[in-house]
Amino acid sequence: MCVWCERYADGYERWYFNPANYARKLYKVRKEEAEALGAEANPQAAGGMALLTRDFLEAVDRKDYEVVAKMRQQVEEIAWATHFGQVVPLDDVLRVVDIIYPIALITCACRRSMLGLPNEENFTCIGMGPGMYKWERWPDTYRGGVHFLTPDEAKEIITKMNKRGLVQVLFTFGTPYIAGICNCDYPDCSAIRTTLDHGIQFLWKGHHVAVIDNELCNGCASCIHRCQFKALSFSPTQNKAYIDLFQCFGCGLCISECPQDAITLVERAKFPALANVW
Amino acid sequence: MLPTITVDDQKCTDPLSCRKCLLVCPTRVLGVGTKVGPQKFKEIDPSQFIVAGVRFERCTVCLDCVNVCPKNAIQVSL
Ligand code: SF4
Ligand code: SF4
Ligand code: SF4
Ligand code: SF4
Ligand code: SF4
Repeated sequence: MCVWCERYADGYERWYFNPANYARKLYKVRKEEAEALGAEANPQAAGGMALLTRDFLEAVDRKDYEVVAKMRQQVEEIAWATHFGQVVPLDDVLRVVDIIYPIALITCACRRSMLGLPNEENFTCIGMGPGMYKWERWPDTYRGGVHFLTPDEAKEIITKMNKRGLVQVLFTFGTPYIAGICNCDYPDCSAIRTTLDHGIQFLWKGHHVAVIDNELCNGCASCIHRCQFKALSFSPTQNKAYIDLFQCFGCGLCISECPQDAITLVERAKFPALANVW
Repeated sequence: MLPTITVDDQKCTDPLSCRKCLLVCPTRVLGVGTKVGPQKFKEIDPSQFIVAGVRFERCTVCLDCVNVCPKNAIQVSL
């Protein structure tokens, strides 16, 4: 159980299945808490890149690990209170879609910042909840507009993005208020980059890990390109796929491409040494 | 040592329309943002967008961005 389930699941199987974490009345409360912490409750301001400065990169560069650890902790504290993500497998996301309304397709802030992607090519982000009614408050954050979706449309679009190879991540906007389903990939998602490149935990791993059955794996390598987290590689020695279970984020993307059904998602909690690897 | 990257925003006046440097950089070192930060109830004018170095630790100083820039706005040095 991750700390978010400990704090916010309230009897539900996982914290993100608890409708209270999407509740309208919580939105305002949590937003004020986030603002009290010094972060504007605007998603872009709370985003990773705004917090990660050249000072941090310089400290890493000169191997000043004490300063690095301190800055890392500061950034994580703000992120966890205001805006962080947890990777979730597709089945779980599709269940979330039935909990919360409205749901809307919006443009992706990371890809705008990384690539200057034009709005019409950039509808990969999904916003949820009453915040979507207030999008006009931040026209720049929602450049390109907000397209409201029925639950079925949302499921179809998310499933397509999963098929395309994008990882599903649930994001808080004032923890524990969950209001985003991001569809991310390396290197254009700054949340994945901050997490992998700098070891700053913007993204929490999901509740599963992917396990390969070596008997079934025939070494076709169809799965290898699916991993956005550098957890999946190919072993020429064994002619099989290889997953680093301590690095796996449990997104499940590798599984859907395996013609042998050789990979399965197993609950992290089943492995004592992985139970607290987030 | 981290490279120094400067982008002259007097020369780079509409990065969202150009974005050549963003696309050419092999490691996504550069980012586009705004000078003014997010503003309530107001779309930010394209002229307020700027390009800047962000992920300096991934810059190889290949100078591809410098060479691709039609406005000669970028300088990269180590
Ligand atoms: S976290 Fe993912 S979908 Fe969300 S803004 Fe970043 S890349 Fe886009
Ligand atoms: S190994 Fe599979 S489940 Fe694990 S992070 Fe990579 S693609 Fe996702
Ligand atoms: S797709 Fe399946 S069978 Fe092919 S290498 Fe990956 S795990 Fe093995
Ligand atoms: S010099 Fe090369 S690596 Fe550095 S920012 Fe420019 S294009 Fe990117
Ligand atoms: S290539 Fe030059 S003009 Fe074009 S966006 Fe980059 S810095 Fe601006």
